Amino acid sequence: MTLQLLINGISLGSVYALIAVGFALIFNILKFSNFSHGGLMSVTAYIGYVASVFFGRYIKALPLFIVILLAAALGGGLLAIVVERVAFRRLRNSNSSVIYYFISSITMGILMENSVTIFASSNFYSYPSFFPTSVIRFGALSVAIPDLLTFLFSGSSLVILLVVLFRTKIGLAIRSTSFDTATAKLMGMDPNRVVAATFFASGVLGGVAGVFLGINYTLYPQLGQLIVKGFVASVIGGLGSISGALIGAVLLGVVEIFLIGLVGAGWSPVVIFVIMLVFLLLRPRGISGVIVQEKA
Amino acid sequence: MEYLVSTLTFTGITLIGVLGVYMVTGLTGLFSFGQAAFLAIGAYISAVLYKSLGLPLPLAAFVAMLVGLAAGLLVGLPTVRLRRDYISLVTFGFGEAIIAVLNNTANVTGGAMGLSGVPQRTSFSLVLASVIACVAVVISYKNSKYGRQCLALRNDELAAKSMGINVERLKLVTFLIAGVMTSFAGVLYVFYTTYVEPGAFGWVISAEWMIIVFVGGVNSLTGAVVATVLLTGLPEFLRFASEWRIAIYCIIVLLILNFRPSGIFGEHEISLDFLRRLFRKGARTA
Amino acid sequence: MSSLEAKGLSKAFGGVKAIDNFSFEVGGHDIVGIIGPNGAGKTTVFNLLTGIYSLDTGQVFLDGKELTGLPQHAITRAGIGRTFQNIRLFRGLSVLENVMTAADPYSDYNLLDVCFFTSRKRRREHAVRDLSRHYLKIVGLEGYEKERPESLPYGLQRKLELARALATNPKVLLLDEPAAGLNPSEVRAFIDLVRAIHDQFQFSIIIIEHRLEVVMELSSKIFVLNFGKLLASGTPAEIVCNKAVTEAYLGQEET
Repeated sequence: MTLQLLINGISLGSVYALIAVGFALIFNILKFSNFSHGGLMSVTAYIGYVASVFFGRYIKALPLFIVILLAAALGGGLLAIVVERVAFRRLRNSNSSVIYYFISSITMGILMENSVTIFASSNFYSYPSFFPTSVIRFGALSVAIPDLLTFLFSGSSLVILLVVLFRTKIGLAIRSTSFDTATAKLMGMDPNRVVAATFFASGVLGGVAGVFLGINYTLYPQLGQLIVKGFVASVIGGLGSISGALIGAVLLGVVEIFLIGLVGAGWSPVVIFVIMLVFLLLRPRGISGVIVQEKA
Repeated sequence: MEYLVSTLTFTGITLIGVLGVYMVTGLTGLFSFGQAAFLAIGAYISAVLYKSLGLPLPLAAFVAMLVGLAAGLLVGLPTVRLRRDYISLVTFGFGEAIIAVLNNTANVTGGAMGLSGVPQRTSFSLVLASVIACVAVVISYKNSKYGRQCLALRNDELAAKSMGINVERLKLVTFLIAGVMTSFAGVLYVFYTTYVEPGAFGWVISAEWMIIVFVGGVNSLTGAVVATVLLTGLPEFLRFASEWRIAIYCIIVLLILNFRPSGIFGEHEISLDFLRRLFRKGARTA
Repeated sequence: MSSLEAKGLSKAFGGVKAIDNFSFEVGGHDIVGIIGPNGAGKTTVFNLLTGIYSLDTGQVFLDGKELTGLPQHAITRAGIGRTFQNIRLFRGLSVLENVMTAADPYSDYNLLDVCFFTSRKRRREHAVRDLSRHYLKIVGLEGYEKERPESLPYGLQRKLELARALATNPKVLLLDEPAAGLNPSEVRAFIDLVRAIHDQFQFSIIIIEHRLEVVMELSSKIFVLNFGKLLASGTPAEIVCNKAVTEAYLGQEET
């Protein structure tokens, strides 16, 4: 039974990891909190829905699911690039203070969420069911197929991201720019391209996350506020660390499933908040967070 | 006429919340998504104490503000010593947590159905007096060692510390004052609208207030006041459909960010000096 | 008349030992200089003294009271004031307000005074304002009170940094490359200013400078840092003759 919960938790955690890593990517590279990420997830959740309606006529079940994921991922990536262009590029070029990034990202987030509200407001939409809700047995363990697929697809997305980050040229460019933009520029890397690539990656993760959130929580415009899970995961895992975001997210998923068993789904935001506070008191830099020493 | 009064009352209550955001975000440079949660705390605590326990209104209001203070301490103490982003993330979670608490304590708060049957005790004059008092306090705060040190730490935290400024304590104090003030606004709010439900206190409200401060000019108190009247009052007068109101806010902000990032008022305040210069100019051209 | 004692300061960043067992003291009414080639760790010493970096090992004493490990603002209030190598003035505030913020921590009134507009607040505010104007006058920035620091020419910005540091009421004043970027006549004026301030107030001064004439003229004692270690110390005359020092700066002679 506990092991069952653990598996559920890991599956949920993998979705949270998508959210947290999408957020952490921007934070690492551009050193600001991208509050529009939630809004992006709301939009991509609906993109996925539209894709499911459109393609649902021709294909079903697993192939349909994959197509929807791709549509949302691509849509998310492109949307993120647009967001960067509209909301952040000017700020970056004029070297504005952090405050403007905050306002800009918040505004974009609200705008995106609001546009979903306007176009989809009073109706409740939900994704069709893609796979049978049956279970696979591994010896004494039974794993629900939806959980397994969630874990597989989220996990693969993250693995792909890590491969891109650590094994490709553009990934190297992204990582170098995160350390020192000026030097990276001098080494011939075009910061605009690097930033766009980072946002694209973040948007892809957000897109996949949006679909999973839409499946798990049904579709409503404020879906994006589940980005709070990404925030909590980042705090627990440590701001400034992608591996931390991953670990924090999986931990969060597991803890949340156990908590829901104990106190019910209604109270879990409260308990999670308390856990976050406790972490801040005991280990403020999180699990693998880095403390950046400011120079005088 | 009644519509005018009601709009002004509502604008006044919003203004008190915006003043809190001005202190926390404009003066101190922190981005708190939790201001709406303080509004909720003020509203629900005072309403429940008044209705269910029969406490007299001033006492209920006072207790509500105390609870707001306690909540501010709970959230603020662990976060102010950390980098700026943390207070945003944590206050976001705080807001969600408060809404969850409200939704799950239906026997006390009415849960998702909301709390109704609260008598209307807030009058326009009460709101007006409160607004004047709060504006006065914020002006006094800004033109004091507190305000200056806040601006300093917003500008350059490291240098501020090196000048002997106790950055953590200042952040906390500002955050607490704003929390208490917003809780008070919550009391005014619930005894005006007579009905509240948890969904009205989401992070978007906090974000809207931050946007208002920014549009007015993040460095200008006058700007915050003017922008509140413009962005809250005007749509009500023009009977805007509320769904588009938010989208319009956002577009205004994006325009301002790109073309006049310092906001409508920029750095300027209405001061005696400013008015004097204005009149002198007018006299000269006459 | 105050004494600052630093014993065995060490600090490593990752694998690099930035400061290695550096000790020095400045006592009484001295002016002391810290010099060394680029990257020797001079600013790091200041950052360690003021609590910006935490010490790996070592202790700092001011008038016998230990400052090690205290938070930055507490160290400043205990009596260590400083200027920054890369000017760090507060941009949202006027010139006068920049100085006032440094004097504000000592201004004795509270929130109740703020909320109720008491006369105590008014009086203290006046006092801080007058005091800050006084410091501006000392450094020669009279008349610039309402300006923005960004609009000041470089030399005046440096003066503002100095005025602000004075307002923290220091017992020991740390000046980090205060003459950097000044032209020769400005440097001359600056040396005179420092001497005037030193005569007027009773604090000690520690100067980091690359402009050797500044250090030579003002200091009674010089500490030379190289790769984070103390290379030599002594009077200006002794240091100038010290072979190890010239080698550190200029390299060894080719034989």
